[in-house]
Amino acid sequence: MNPVSREKLASLSNSVKFATDLGPKLELCRQLKRDLLEEDAAALSEFLSHIFDLYSDPSGPVRKLATEIIGEIGVKHLEFVPEIAPFLITVLEDATPAVARQSISCSIDLFRHTLEKTAIQGLHSSELDSDLESSWSWMLKLKEKIYSIAFQPGSGGVKLVALKFVEAVILLYTPNPNGSSEPPPNEGTPIEFNISWLHGRHPFLNVGDLSIEASQRLVLLLDQLRFPTVKSLTTSVIVVLINSLSAIAKKRPAYYGRILPVLLSLDPPSFVIKEVHVYGANNALKNALLSCLQCSHPSAAPWRDRLLGALKDMEAGGLAEVALNQVHKVNGSVEDEKDHSSVIKEEKPMTKACDAAGSNVGRKRSGTEDSSGLAETGDVSGKRVRSTPSVSEESTKELNRNTSMSQGDISSAQSTTRKVDVDTGPVQQLVAMFGALVAQGEKAVGSLGILISSISADLLAEVVMANMRNLPPTHSHTDADDELLEDMCIVGSNTQAKYPPSFLVDVVSLSSTFPPIAALLNSQQSVPNEIVIQKTEVGEEVDVMAGPNSTVAYAGMAHEAENALLPGMEKIDVPTPSDIQDVGNLESGIPGLDSSFHYDGLSDAQAASSLVSTDLEDTSQEQGTSFGGKSPLHVLPSISIERSEELSPKAAVNDSSGVVSSTATSVVSSHPFVLPKMSAPVVNLSDDQKDDVQKLAYIRIIEAYKQIAVAGGSQVRSSLLAYLGVELPSELDLHKLLRDHILSDYINHEGHELTLRVLYRLFGEAEEESDFFSCTTAASAYETFLLAVAETLRDTFPPSDKSLSKLLGEAPCLPKSVLNLLECLCSPGISEKAEESQSGDRVTQGLSTVWSLILLRPPIRDVCLKIALQSAVHHLEEVRMKAIRLVANKLYPLPSISQQIEDFAREMLLSAVNIDAAEITDAEGLIIESHKDSELEKPSHEHQSVSSTGKDISAIFHQSETSQSGSSPSVPEAQRCMSLYFALCTKKHSLFGQIFIVYSSASKAVKQAIHRHIPILVRTMGLSSDLLEIISDPPTGSENLLMQVLQTLTEGTVPSAELIFTIKKLFDSKLKDVEILVPVLPFLPGDEVLLLFPYLVNLPLDKFQAALTRLLQGSSQSGPVLSPAEVLIAIHGIDPERDGIPLKKVTDACNACFEQRHIFTQQILAKVLNQLVEQIPLPLLFMRTVLQAIGAFPGLVGFIMEILSRLVSKQIWKYPKLWVGFLKCAFLTKPQSFSVLLQLPPPQLENALNRTAALKAPLVAHASQENIRTSLPRSVLAVLGLSPESQPSSQVQTSQAHTGDTNNSEKDAVAEISKESSGAS
Amino acid sequence: MKFRYAMVCSSNQNRSMEAHCLLKKQGFHVSSYGTGTHVKLPGPSLREPNVYDFGTPYKLMFDDLRRKDPDLYKRNGILPMLKRNLSVKLAPQRWQDNAADGYFDIVFTFEEKVFDMVLEDLHNRDQVLLKSVLVINLEVKDNHEEAAVGARLAFDLCEQIEAVESWEDSIDDILTSFENKHRRKLMYSISFY
Repeated sequence: MNPVSREKLASLSNSVKFATDLGPKLELCRQLKRDLLEEDAAALSEFLSHIFDLYSDPSGPVRKLATEIIGEIGVKHLEFVPEIAPFLITVLEDATPAVARQSISCSIDLFRHTLEKTAIQGLHSSELDSDLESSWSWMLKLKEKIYSIAFQPGSGGVKLVALKFVEAVILLYTPNPNGSSEPPPNEGTPIEFNISWLHGRHPFLNVGDLSIEASQRLVLLLDQLRFPTVKSLTTSVIVVLINSLSAIAKKRPAYYGRILPVLLSLDPPSFVIKEVHVYGANNALKNALLSCLQCSHPSAAPWRDRLLGALKDMEAGGLAEVALNQVHKVNGSVEDEKDHSSVIKEEKPMTKACDAAGSNVGRKRSGTEDSSGLAETGDVSGKRVRSTPSVSEESTKELNRNTSMSQGDISSAQSTTRKVDVDTGPVQQLVAMFGALVAQGEKAVGSLGILISSISADLLAEVVMANMRNLPPTHSHTDADDELLEDMCIVGSNTQAKYPPSFLVDVVSLSSTFPPIAALLNSQQSVPNEIVIQKTEVGEEVDVMAGPNSTVAYAGMAHEAENALLPGMEKIDVPTPSDIQDVGNLESGIPGLDSSFHYDGLSDAQAASSLVSTDLEDTSQEQGTSFGGKSPLHVLPSISIERSEELSPKAAVNDSSGVVSSTATSVVSSHPFVLPKMSAPVVNLSDDQKDDVQKLAYIRIIEAYKQIAVAGGSQVRSSLLAYLGVELPSELDLHKLLRDHILSDYINHEGHELTLRVLYRLFGEAEEESDFFSCTTAASAYETFLLAVAETLRDTFPPSDKSLSKLLGEAPCLPKSVLNLLECLCSPGISEKAEESQSGDRVTQGLSTVWSLILLRPPIRDVCLKIALQSAVHHLEEVRMKAIRLVANKLYPLPSISQQIEDFAREMLLSAVNIDAAEITDAEGLIIESHKDSELEKPSHEHQSVSSTGKDISAIFHQSETSQSGSSPSVPEAQRCMSLYFALCTKKHSLFGQIFIVYSSASKAVKQAIHRHIPILVRTMGLSSDLLEIISDPPTGSENLLMQVLQTLTEGTVPSAELIFTIKKLFDSKLKDVEILVPVLPFLPGDEVLLLFPYLVNLPLDKFQAALTRLLQGSSQSGPVLSPAEVLIAIHGIDPERDGIPLKKVTDACNACFEQRHIFTQQILAKVLNQLVEQIPLPLLFMRTVLQAIGAFPGLVGFIMEILSRLVSKQIWKYPKLWVGFLKCAFLTKPQSFSVLLQLPPPQLENALNRTAALKAPLVAHASQENIRTSLPRSVLAVLGLSPESQPSSQVQTSQAHTGDTNNSEKDAVAEISKESSGAS
Repeated sequence: MKFRYAMVCSSNQNRSMEAHCLLKKQGFHVSSYGTGTHVKLPGPSLREPNVYDFGTPYKLMFDDLRRKDPDLYKRNGILPMLKRNLSVKLAPQRWQDNAADGYFDIVFTFEEKVFDMVLEDLHNRDQVLLKSVLVINLEVKDNHEEAAVGARLAFDLCEQIEAVESWEDSIDDILTSFENKHRRKLMYSISFY
């Protein structure tokens, strides 16, 4: 070692030791490792101790790395093992599991290398160097230590690795049947170590001892999995054990018989305590069994049925089918491999396989050579079979190629007998015996041999025949099928190489049966003839098949005979595999089989030239290449031929026993069986053609189904149809065909059931845990199918039909597009304009479907509800009302969704109120939603995208519509939004309050809409406590609404006492507006009304009139509250100043009364005036009323005169205002009033005449009349200027003094009257 | 992070990459693989899936699909997925060909079929290192949403495995508690390198 590197290493190891941080420390360690591994042994020996020191490090990762370094050094330089092994043993005890595990990991490498080196050195020399010997002994110690860890009770990571170590040692200690039995010529060759290299010539490694140890350890491993030990294990240990054991079984088939019983008897549910991981162990077991099943080794064969059974049990239910398929596939390939590849591919087994048939070879060879003299009959084959074991050993010895004789024997024996295990015939017992022997493995070899040799050939044949059933039932391997298809061509094409052997055989056999055809074939191509030549190898049967070919055949025979002599031993080896079958068939071998074996042999064993004649060489080589690496697979067809032969084994036996033993005889015997094959030539189809054929076939099937309905049993069959439609390649679009079938007559074709079957199948496919790709495609197929059926149902069936509803109710799931369809149905106009024409019945259909979906499918309840709600605010009233009925009557009572409905309705209500902003955003929201929809749907279907664009357009249209009205929504628009809410109010009265709240801020149109609704709404609701509560505290601004509600409530019925009470309370406390009392006025007692009268008068005129009407009409029960007279008197009783009511209001009220002449009749007025005139003081408006009465009813003049005279007696002039009215009245009623005027005292008369000068002249004229003049007092006459001179002066004085008093007030009165009269006129 | 993780699904696109992405962000030492023979992505129709070989860079697929039909592939989430993937690593890798990537301590599979394939592959390799590897199967449906859920679950589980000193001793407990917490069934096996 050069000093520099030594220096470097030393510093490195020091810095490792002193580094404090874990990260850098590990990095340094790795650096050290790299450097160390480059050093030579000498340098390392110095440094080893340094590294051992590293192990004292407190941190686990460093110790682990140190262990790893040491392990690698050990592997590289085995001379250090004596030092390293003790170190590793200590490390095994490390507290950190990872470090201990590392130690075992290193140990196995070290162990393998030491063993290998020890073994190889021992092979080359009888003495081993002492170092190696001590290394080995240390390794053994290490091994024992690890064993103890592996088999100690308990668990943990270390144990897992230790178990793995045991597995590795078992594998190392036992011969590998697949490996090379010879050590590599030079030591450097990287080839897997095989203990069988030792051959018992090693100084101290004894193969037998090692085997014994291995099998002891195996027993220990197996014991762990046995009850009850297994109960104490953790799942991880169990999993590792199962995996290890299955690996051993697979790699060392000799142990099959010991491992499998244990694995098969494992029952995970019963042994795993922590139940949650039962299936973890279960899965491991399943995989282990499956891998065992796949094992191609002959000793695995007897176990196959039990394995299958166990797997079936484990995968009960859905997985069973899969497992079966899998197993079948496995089975097929296993059969192939066992029959052929193990024989052909591996040189050694092949020679072994020859053993059983060795005698055949020998016999046949001799038979061939001196065929002319040989005339053996039936007992020949018997002899042959009996002599099998001995001869085989002889022959193998001769060949001297098989180094492990016993094993070879077993495998060959097993390969012949393995077919015995299922049997129904008389050979059952024998079969069972074979099975039992085979299951025992190696130990039973001897007994097997004895058994085979002791039974008769016929019986053995029976056994084998019975066992034939185990051959694969079909060409299950798809690759092989494909290969075949490719290889087959129509006869007459000139690609010779494409013919598979079996086909050629067919041709041969055909040609021998039908000479003309053979001739034809002959003229066309040479290959069959050549094959014939080969078949006629031995020539004995040439006559049978000769016909026109005979010459050629003879020539061929001659040729062949020559060939037969040429190749020597090699040649005989190659064909022997086929003779294994011959043992069973008693020489009824099939040429096809033979030839294929030849080819296999050729391609693999490269003995082509030695076997085949030069003529054939081209063909065979071509075939060899065309079969490529798949030679074992293409043997399948010949096996199937063999099976066909199985049908009449007796005949075959007879045949063969009757003729001399030669492969050629079978040409004859196989005729009847292979002949039918010719009738079905295989035609190669292009993909498109295949598609067409499949499609046509399916159409035929569908057509046939149209009749099935009559025949019955459609239940089962429709499921088959659905399965076919879905299972065939989806590219063919069979769905469409199926759909057409379903829809062509939905009812009679059980369309519903069939559709559901298809849907469930597609749905299952989509939901299956498979890749992304098939999921998406299946989902879209599902959607398309469902949508198409749904659309057709909608379009073709009458709206009253329930099929659509039923379908949607039972389909496995409803994709979005289907929901859209439903939406269009419920809200026509959303998508296509064309649908506008659809009748309301469709809407009903849609809605009832939605309803049933909401009830039946909780997961999509929200979506369906949305559809219904959308429909409930539809712009068409017809649609809307239907939907509202559904929502309010059917859906709203459902507690789970009522809140949602309420929220939506409220939102819509508010949106109507918050006009501008809300309307526009709502419309936009709709647009966005529909955009989203259309985007989602586009990929699914073209039709779909069309409809969605239609929807876009309509949505835009819709928007423009709403945005136009957006600024102030029309009444219909407001109604659209609010109807639903009103409907809900009838179900839940407390909701009504919201309308009151909303009302105040609502626009005119909205208010109008509300008012339009209220009568119906309130009438439906009736008076409830909720409503009373709302009424008792209405929000400000909602008075009008309240009024309407009250009006509606009182219309035509007697309001309840509560209502009246509530209203009165409201009037008293909060709302001083007497208007609210108006509706209940008729139901109030008269005295209360009289108290309220001033307020009523104060109302706007129209409202007063309304109130008046109510009062006068009263309620139907109690009659009018007030009589008209009472009303008028009440009006006159109002004192504007006292009651704070403008005079104008009072006069208006009077006027209003007078307008209703049919109520306020002459009589009533007279009555009223009569009463009023008695009042003291006189009512302010009395004279006005009198004047009006005269205006209205001139007939009252007489009565009025009476009143006037009463007024005179009441000294009317003392009421200045009334005085004016009096005078005016007098003026108006002249001349009748003259008599009243003349009753006035002279001063008042004078005053009156002064005020109304126009009266004077007529009055004087009236008084001048003789009869009157005489009745008048002088004073009056003086006033009138009719008296003598003396008197008037004094009269004037007094009157002047008097008038001076009243001057001012009189003027006022005049002014007032004139004003009033103008107002009244 | 003391362990090396591998996330395996069939195409190394969706589930494994989702988990890979998440764990990578969380600082785990993680790789991802697919067990299929090809990388298959949905195409415009059933007849035309997009098939790539393992090793084809995500970027290439991304460009390819974007060229073919940007709308379609954007809508079905393929393009976003590829974009995410190309930010994580170069190209999809095949599990069966990953011998050169060294050993893993923990392997997550997201489908039982994949689980079986990984185990079979591990068993078929020469087990010389005797380095134990824990293979856990967590069933995750192959869609974008479920993949995201699955990735979070995997991350959760990884954290718990990291937290213990050696998983060999406590894996049963960890998985049991995980199962109880998330109501998800797990399956595991142990193999060796």
